[in-house]
Amino acid sequence: MTHEINSSDTASRGPGTKCGLSRRKFLLTSGTATATVMVSMNHAGADSHMPATVATYPRKKIATLSSLQTDVPVEFDYPDEGEYSSSVLVKLGTEAGGGLGPDKDVVAFNHFCTHQGGDLSGSYKGETKSLGACPLHLSTYDLTRHGILISGQAYQSLPQVLLELDGDDIYAVGIFGLIFGRHDNLQG
Amino acid sequence: MTTPYYIPETNVPLPPKDADVITTACDYCIVACGYKVYRWPVAGNHDGGPEADNNAFDEDFPVAPLGSWVAPNQHNIVMHDGNPHHVVIIPDKDTEAVNTNGDSSLRGGCIAQKCYNPQTPTRDRLSTPLMRMWGILQPVSWDFALDVAAEVANHVRRKHGANAYGVKTFSYQYIENTYAISKYALRHINTANFTFHDTPSDVSSTPGFRDAGFDNFGPSYEDWMNAETLLVCGTDPYETKTILFTQWMMPGIQNGQKCIMMNPRRTAGVAYAEANGGLWLDVNLGTDLLVVNAIARVIAENGWQDAEWIKKWVNNKWGSNSGFGQGTRNTPWQWRTTWGKFQTDGYDDWAKWLLAQDEFTPENAAKVAGIDVQKIYTAAEWMAKPGADGTRPKTSIMIEKGFYWSNNTGNTMAISALAIQVGAGGRPGQVVGRAGGHQRGGVRGGKYPRNKSPMKVPGRRRRALDTDTWTMSGHTRMAHVIGTTWIQSMCGSQQLARRFEELTVQNPNQVMSFDKQEIIDTLKARADSGGMVVINQDIYLVDPIGNRYADIIFPAATWGEDTFMRANGERRLRVYNKFYDAPGEAKPDWWIIAQLAKKMGFDGFDWENSNDVAEESARFSRGSRKDFNMIKMAAIREGKTLHAKLGEFGTNGIQGPVFMDDDGSLRGTKRLHDTTLSLSETGPTGSNMFNKKLTHFNSQTGRCNIEKSPWSLFSDYWEWMSPKDDELWCTSGRTNERWQSGFDDRRRPYIVQRWPDNYIEIHPDDAAARGIESGDLLMAYSDRVPSLKETTLGIEGDDYSFTGQMRNDNVELSKAAVTGVAMVTRHIKKGIIYMDFLHTSQPANALEGRIVDWISGNYNYKIGVARLKKIGESPHKHSFRSMSFAPRDII
Repeated sequence: MTHEINSSDTASRGPGTKCGLSRRKFLLTSGTATATVMVSMNHAGADSHMPATVATYPRKKIATLSSLQTDVPVEFDYPDEGEYSSSVLVKLGTEAGGGLGPDKDVVAFNHFCTHQGGDLSGSYKGETKSLGACPLHLSTYDLTRHGILISGQAYQSLPQVLLELDGDDIYAVGIFGLIFGRHDNLQG
Repeated sequence: MTTPYYIPETNVPLPPKDADVITTACDYCIVACGYKVYRWPVAGNHDGGPEADNNAFDEDFPVAPLGSWVAPNQHNIVMHDGNPHHVVIIPDKDTEAVNTNGDSSLRGGCIAQKCYNPQTPTRDRLSTPLMRMWGILQPVSWDFALDVAAEVANHVRRKHGANAYGVKTFSYQYIENTYAISKYALRHINTANFTFHDTPSDVSSTPGFRDAGFDNFGPSYEDWMNAETLLVCGTDPYETKTILFTQWMMPGIQNGQKCIMMNPRRTAGVAYAEANGGLWLDVNLGTDLLVVNAIARVIAENGWQDAEWIKKWVNNKWGSNSGFGQGTRNTPWQWRTTWGKFQTDGYDDWAKWLLAQDEFTPENAAKVAGIDVQKIYTAAEWMAKPGADGTRPKTSIMIEKGFYWSNNTGNTMAISALAIQVGAGGRPGQVVGRAGGHQRGGVRGGKYPRNKSPMKVPGRRRRALDTDTWTMSGHTRMAHVIGTTWIQSMCGSQQLARRFEELTVQNPNQVMSFDKQEIIDTLKARADSGGMVVINQDIYLVDPIGNRYADIIFPAATWGEDTFMRANGERRLRVYNKFYDAPGEAKPDWWIIAQLAKKMGFDGFDWENSNDVAEESARFSRGSRKDFNMIKMAAIREGKTLHAKLGEFGTNGIQGPVFMDDDGSLRGTKRLHDTTLSLSETGPTGSNMFNKKLTHFNSQTGRCNIEKSPWSLFSDYWEWMSPKDDELWCTSGRTNERWQSGFDDRRRPYIVQRWPDNYIEIHPDDAAARGIESGDLLMAYSDRVPSLKETTLGIEGDDYSFTGQMRNDNVELSKAAVTGVAMVTRHIKKGIIYMDFLHTSQPANALEGRIVDWISGNYNYKIGVARLKKIGESPHKHSFRSMSFAPRDII
């Protein structure tokens, strides 16, 4: 079982909490700067009795704000280099939920369709600020609204990568939503 | 109910190796994809792991695309045998039918969220019978609720007649339940005041198909893939029956199929077809008949009709006039044509009529329909023009509600004639049928008592009773409403609601007693005074039929809470297994009906379980498209139950009608009207039954009737209804992410985040002219919603038209208004607004005319008008949390 330490009621108490905004608060306020730490406890098999493991989203520099051009996506891997880590960072040119920067328009998302794992790379459309249609079953996602499904069959929004700005540097610091193919974002 | 504050999870438990695996099929759309339920106890921290040797999928995580991934919305915790269990419900990756390779839609994909779990928004499931006392619905025991219901019901039918007891029920929510309900209502109560969730009268949904001889669900899913040209009318299957599109039509289109979509809304399936060489016929509402007949006219003028097929399979003058051995002019088809508007002497007679109607010239049809005339010529060419070597395109035609609920009789007559002309129907890849809405779970336990209906069509035949006008007129003294909203699902919803209010809560006889007999006497007095007593049987408390108007609530158990059977849109029968405990005292509908019937003194309701009901119903399925009687015979032969025998077919199921070979093995039927099929020359053996429609058509001769489809039978209503001044056409339909009234979806945080309110799609030009932007809160309203005061009144034939009803002062105009969030989008045709069809709090049907199609008795739900007024801004306009205003046609 994995427990979220810094949910809204424990945000100020959780070990390793770096800032005041929780995942919950992020979604409710569309906040722009946040960090999240996950503490994962025993998720091993039925017969094992491993001690609790602690997994934490890495803080990873992925781009600089000044280098981004509107509607030109930048690819990066997060939270690791493993399968389905491929993600996309894009300056939308319009304010977005969870948007970073002075115009609140820089967002990042995992690149795999949360229906059946279709690869969405190369499908960004500036006109509609969307990813898709997925080549498998045509799902499309609205990047201005936390990756919500526009039309299609996905079981949830596209996982949104949490971003943090430090000077001109953009850091990936967490993910909302389970990445396709994985049973746990940090354990594969 | 849930709010849009959805917080996504970032992990999910996996089923362990020894998890129970139970097969089922999706509860929702017609396609009925196969699913597997993985169930294991919560106690013991017994979850599976990410290694293949440590989970029930035998897969290493991360899994490959299309693999056994589990999204958090596919997990839930339920009670099983009184103990909490994890369930993971994902599409069956091993199935060989329907959703081959384990595809799913969003609706079915998240069906785990349907399960009752008091820690989720499903916590308001009805779990005990309720009775309204002092205006409040209070929990009572089953015995108490049933005693009161039975006494009042017997009083109503004895004192006011069987037709005073109305039964308004789902037609599809599992064979066991529909059989029990219809046995009770039709055989025992024997009321003509009976109909299904989607129609005011128990009539055919597609009168033109019925008359031509086409079964609604003859085709197999592979036929839609194998057609070389496919005309799809009034639906985008991607939005509404997803897997039919993604698993069957998409491969067809990728393989070069020319897909023609006739629909004023360009959603993803339409856009995909267009992007891959298809055609979008963006017709104005209600003009389909003109376009269909214009296509047929181009084909006729060029001599592209399938002459060989027509010669063999279309009735000539003699065939048209023959009956069922009961004398001529006494078949359902012929009494509709009493006044000679439809009947022809065969293809040439039909073509002569077609070419003589000026409104069917491509130029006129294109003008009225608001489309490019070239599209009519292109469609005709694709559908019927033979190649240089004389080979004909294999053409199929699919229709659904946007089409047959716009001009019910006319459109279905016209499309049947076009199908016959191009040789669709009766051969692999050359078929005609409905795409379907809900699944097919109806088996009748009694015959509709048509002779008890006081309503008639022109001539001498009685028509099934229109339960809405009957109730509006105060003749329904007790209404038994099962698994439908009734009010919002019907046209002119707000007038209906007003009348329900008068007949129930505004009647002076209200229960204010703790004494059973006093309660019974009060409700009897209500019925006797001209009021109405309401029983509502459902899984949730429905507004307003349940929580405002009902006197007694029966809590129903549903999918996964008992074992049921049902068929899908290619007649594929499957067992839907029970895998968890129903909430509290909730019981399956068959059980509720059986207890009520027994208390009323009826015999034949002594069923122990759902299999008993299924086995009793089997013989009533004989000869039908989902004939499963031989599965029961096989079960008897092998000493098994019917459910166990059908269950052996798992998610693959078997397509009805089902036959037994001499060695006892069962064989399904790929398609109906299969003229390429050879049946045993010696006829059926044992209890097998060969129905004519296996190899022929469903007509008086086994050949098709090609019929005329005059525009004039409908054009007066269409012209009257057409937008005046700043009105816009107003239509509605499904949205991919929401099923029916949203009874489950309103309790799914993610879906509520996506669709927190009803929406109003409007073309950018229409929006700009009215100062409307996406996210604005709009009032859609009308002061001329027409409704019939009484049933269609008339003496002479032309009295029955809309003009005749207006002339005879049988039409009342009233006001209606529905709010919604503006969605300014390029994917809706200019001049038309589109809403979700069944938001219970913002019902689009309020704006649709409560005028039945005077020939068929169905509503034309899809053609209304409305004005728009901006009344403010919705919270979604500037917040990024919910909704999306991006267009649905991004490919």
